[in-house]
Amino acid sequence: MNHWLEFFVHWASSLGLNYGFLLDAYPRSTLAQGALTTLWLCLLTIIGSLLTGLGLAALLTSGKRALAVPARVFIEVTRNTPTLVQLYCAFLVLNMLLNQAVGTANPLTPFAWVVIVISLHKGAFHAEALRAGIEAVPAVTLEAARSLAFSNRQLLWNVQLPLALRFALPSLINNLIDLVKMTAVASAIAVGDITYSAIMIWTQSDNVLELMILLLGFYGLLSFIVNCVGRYLEARLRMPGYGH
Amino acid sequence: MAIESVCMALLQWSPALIAGFGQNILISLLAIGLGTVLGLLVGMLALSPWRLLRLPARLWVQVFRNAPWLVLIYFTTYVFPFEIHVGSAYIPFPDWVKVTIGLALPASANVAEILRGAVASIPGTQWEAARSLAFSRWQIAVSIIMPQCLKRMLAPWMNLYAVVTMGTALASLVGVHDVIDTAQIASNTVNLTGFTVLVYLSLLVLFFAYCYPISRLTQRLERRYAFY
Repeated sequence: MNHWLEFFVHWASSLGLNYGFLLDAYPRSTLAQGALTTLWLCLLTIIGSLLTGLGLAALLTSGKRALAVPARVFIEVTRNTPTLVQLYCAFLVLNMLLNQAVGTANPLTPFAWVVIVISLHKGAFHAEALRAGIEAVPAVTLEAARSLAFSNRQLLWNVQLPLALRFALPSLINNLIDLVKMTAVASAIAVGDITYSAIMIWTQSDNVLELMILLLGFYGLLSFIVNCVGRYLEARLRMPGYGH
Repeated sequence: MAIESVCMALLQWSPALIAGFGQNILISLLAIGLGTVLGLLVGMLALSPWRLLRLPARLWVQVFRNAPWLVLIYFTTYVFPFEIHVGSAYIPFPDWVKVTIGLALPASANVAEILRGAVASIPGTQWEAARSLAFSRWQIAVSIIMPQCLKRMLAPWMNLYAVVTMGTALASLVGVHDVIDTAQIASNTVNLTGFTVLVYLSLLVLFFAYCYPISRLTQRLERRYAFY
């Protein structure tokens, strides 16, 4: 491991890039910790956003105005305001109110707030994709299922969602790649993700360019992995004659 | 009593907030302008029949679409110099210009993709028909394909503009004095719980009031130009 690292540092220095800090234990562990935090953040928000999206899509297509209108308002507000402002509204406003109410017993850390805000934010985008998928299910399919005495919930869970998922998968994956990139805003409220650790390192030693290339590579790799998983799922779930 | 003083404070700070939001809008307009020009150039290169031109354009699109916007903004802020040395004069290179460039880079990659999608949506038979009428490649692109593409590009382009506008919120993180920075200063100065709540909510309202009409218009255009 160390051997390869030294080799890499040597090779990069021949290109004029000074990656010497990677051989130093402290910055290296900071970066590794940051990368791990980003991975956790991505994993938790992917799960959270998909669940939120599912819930919102179910509300939107429920056919009941009392459920659909609040969901629609939430989605429009979420889609048309910056994530950073939402994060501040949650962390600086709600968290402050919570702190005033319960004092130091406040269970929510900055990390938890980022997970909540990004899950809700991307959930709104997932919901739109899923709604389009649910609405694309042919009416005859629904009639056929209804004539087989499926209840509304069974209809959604067993007929509409499996078909909607296939239809919406490309845009869901697109949203998830966006989500991976969005986790960088966590650094704004001092969650120690990889962007934050990079900032911490380059304020101490002047190596912005090297760290930037490292960051771009890291996020590129993460979105590439999400993309590959998406491609695999698309191929796996493909039903001949339906969807793309 | 408390509510009154909070509202008075908001009224007092509102000119500063509006001025900050003006900075955001200026950044977003310049970024989308620069991004569109760059993106159309890159997009045209990506459609070129020569591999040597196509490859760098592809690389540009891949790199800038897959990087987080925040990281690109940090990139342009910290990598570019504070001032440019031209002859004997030093021209300052302000932070907000760097942020504009940082937003224009991903915008250009997205514009290039929008162009690619629009061109791909024009049936290939049109190229063949025009070719058989002895149009040159350039003539086909300019007088047959582009006019149809413009219409199809309008809706996604406006969508991109809304996204860029929301991206300007990140400018506050690198020290640009924009609306969010102003709100933070205001909330720290006034230091009232009610005011803090109100000032951050007004941020949401400001951005929503600006972006929601754009998104509505985009939906209308999408429906009008729907081609399937």
